[in-house]
Amino acid sequence: MTADPRGGVRGAAADSADRAGGREDARAPGEDPGCARPERTGPARQLLRAQGIAVAYPSGQPVLQDVTFELTAGERIAVLGPNGGGKTTLFRALLGELRPAAGTLELPARCASVPQTERSRLDYPVSALDVVLMGTLPNRAWWRRPSRADRAAAQAALARVALTEHADDTYGELSGGQRQRVLIARALVQNTQVLLLDEPFSGLDTASATRLEALLQTLAGEGRGILMATHDLEQARGWDRVLCLNGSQIAFGVPAPTLTHDVLAATYGGAIVTLPDPDGTAPHQAILPPHHHHHDHAPG
Amino acid sequence: MSVLHTLTDPFSQTLMQRALLEVLLLAAVGGTLGCWIVLGGLSYGAESLAHGMFPGLVLAALAGVPLLLGGAAGILAAALAVALAARVGQDRIARDDAIAVAVTTLFGAGALLALSPDVPVGIQGLLFGDVLGTSRADLLAGSALVALVLLALLLGHQRLLAVGFDRDGARALGVAPVAVDALLLTLLALAVLVAVQGLGNLLVVAVLVAPAAAARLLARRLVPMMALAVLLGALAGVGGLYLSYYARIAAGASIAGLLVATWLLARLVARASSIRKGSAVRTS
Amino acid sequence: MLEPFQLPFVQRALIELLLLAVLAGTLGCWIVLRGLAFATHGAAAAAFPGLVLADGLGFAAALGGFGAALLFALTVGGLSAATGDPRAAAEQREGHDARTALVLVAALAIGVVLASDVFHSAASVESLLFGSLLAIGPADVRLAAAAAVVAAIASALLGTRWLATGFDPAAARTLGIRSHLPDALLLTLVAFGAVATLSAVGALLATALLVVPAATTRLLSNRIPRWQLATTALAAAEGTAGIWLAVQLNAPPGATIAVIAGTAFAATALGKAAT
Repeated sequence: MTADPRGGVRGAAADSADRAGGREDARAPGEDPGCARPERTGPARQLLRAQGIAVAYPSGQPVLQDVTFELTAGERIAVLGPNGGGKTTLFRALLGELRPAAGTLELPARCASVPQTERSRLDYPVSALDVVLMGTLPNRAWWRRPSRADRAAAQAALARVALTEHADDTYGELSGGQRQRVLIARALVQNTQVLLLDEPFSGLDTASATRLEALLQTLAGEGRGILMATHDLEQARGWDRVLCLNGSQIAFGVPAPTLTHDVLAATYGGAIVTLPDPDGTAPHQAILPPHHHHHDHAPG
Repeated sequence: MSVLHTLTDPFSQTLMQRALLEVLLLAAVGGTLGCWIVLGGLSYGAESLAHGMFPGLVLAALAGVPLLLGGAAGILAAALAVALAARVGQDRIARDDAIAVAVTTLFGAGALLALSPDVPVGIQGLLFGDVLGTSRADLLAGSALVALVLLALLLGHQRLLAVGFDRDGARALGVAPVAVDALLLTLLALAVLVAVQGLGNLLVVAVLVAPAAAARLLARRLVPMMALAVLLGALAGVGGLYLSYYARIAAGASIAGLLVATWLLARLVARASSIRKGSAVRTS
Repeated sequence: MLEPFQLPFVQRALIELLLLAVLAGTLGCWIVLRGLAFATHGAAAAAFPGLVLADGLGFAAALGGFGAALLFALTVGGLSAATGDPRAAAEQREGHDARTALVLVAALAIGVVLASDVFHSAASVESLLFGSLLAIGPADVRLAAAAAVVAAIASALLGTRWLATGFDPAAARTLGIRSHLPDALLLTLVAFGAVATLSAVGALLATALLVVPAATTRLLSNRIPRWQLATTALAAAEGTAGIWLAVQLNAPPGATIAVIAGTAFAATALGKAAT
């Protein structure tokens, strides 16, 4: 039995140093033994790099400034910040929808995104497989219909998220956790090195959340880079790096030293609550649930 | 023997044969495009375009020019007026109300033109359609336009689906929602142009919305939904022709009436079957 | 130049229009504020078969019209029970739009069949659809007066509730406003108002009086009482100009008013954009 240095879902922070230098043989819990693992002989590849970028909407006002960070292969970065603080804007810039108004953005790897589930329609006459197939659109000439290879890739992606038996079910009839996995499959089928997830854990029950966390760990283990916007501070502490945004970059780095009270206060503007830990150990901090204003972030 | 006669008698005349072909064309475009209209909540948009094009039709009738040309000009003018009105009202007036302003004005202008001159312009034909007056030229033009719309829908299917399902996700996949919206509106304009000859600009929305709205309640996937919509549209259309022939009532109105009746029937069926199954039902 | 106004039928038309202007001001502003333009158009169009039926069977036209319009307004043209969830609202609206459009079409189809083929009163189809302002009778004027009075009273009594529900439906409920009855009354009023305008502008141009003037003045005002007064004044002016022009040019008055109202909107919008 190989000891797993990551020790389960929450202890990942400690071995980020290991990861930069090379990979151990340990497997993440629940990992599929058949999946491909990239060769690891030298330092991890840089998947994307932002240097002092600022992002503005066409209307002119900069929404995000001074963002400097990098994502290496196998790394999971939690992006923290209040609603409207620039998380979604950053993702749009990384996807190429918005050009940075300043700074440099190096994107050697392509990104696939998993947007918030709330924005997709539940009443659409599509099956889970239909949704995943949408992910094959970018690789295809506009007049072509999905090929057999595309369909096979979609089925494979569904298999990775353990939804094969639901492939023909109507998307809107699946549970919240299953829908989230379908959208992840849609991103996986694009076969990109970088995955951007916008609050994928919101609204998930514990079982689904655990499953999702394990899947993300597996994907990182394959050498992908993952950027995830989240409101869950404790979860963020378990990841490799955190990036705190609130109109501009507050901090970037390994969670433990980075997530100081001052940083959190600057990020969330004071909506921090300290909860006593029921087990009597360290009290932990949480963010007051944000009041969801459903306004349209995207013009047009 | 007499049943066969009942079924075939109406179509022994050329004008009824042409009307039949026209109806089938309308079912083809209304059933397919209609699904995108209904899923995309564009029924009001379709209604507005149809009403707003009225002055174009009247001018064409007054000038003795083919209705298709007048209709095309009318639709362009209507689209422009609607876009401007929505823009102007932006933060003060709900978009639908601004559209209503544009449409009412255009429609009033059409009525003004149609009812003023001493030479009557056959306003009822423009308003309620003249499917029994379908000419060969109408059929040729209609077939060409419907073929174009169907081809566009076939090629654009995946993109329409991606944008309709998840606008932001589609953008992330490299599909521009604005371009897809523009495509849909253009196809809508073409479909209205074809259908207005047979159903008139007041009733045209029936063939664009009813079959798809009915099929939506009965089908679970988009492609079967489209097929069912085309079938229902054709049945209602042909039924309308029979009704018109035997009961001696206006053909366009008969077709429109049967189309809506089909939708009502579909609602009943959907509700009955869901009561039996005990699951939630979409009630539209 | 003022000869038209000496003619008795023109004077009657003018009185009708001034009463309808009050309706346009009081009710019209609520229609625009609550986004009920499509419902108004639908209710008026729904009245069409009711009118034909009443005419054909020999009972009071207004009754037939109102019955049909009311049925429409309350069952189909309804205000969505907004839950504040944008996605549910979008899905609901999609179904709502389709429903309204289809019922509207059905009403028009039934109306034209009844008029042309059942009761053979084809000549009056046009006057029912576009109005016959210069041929109205005392009953029409009485109806307009009644509608104007009811609308003014209802607006005074229920205005605050209509405003609160329109602003934030979810919050309105938590504030203890049981929003169903006031909204139902609003829709009933819309149906009533639509029927009152029928004799003047017809089943297809009700929005020319009930929506366009209110929308025009909305571009300039931000407070309801002022908005209502301005709308009444504007509607009266447009109506008067419309009648005058129609008599001079021998044009259909309802359509003339519609075009004038639309032009006024465009002019106001341009003027506002230019400043």
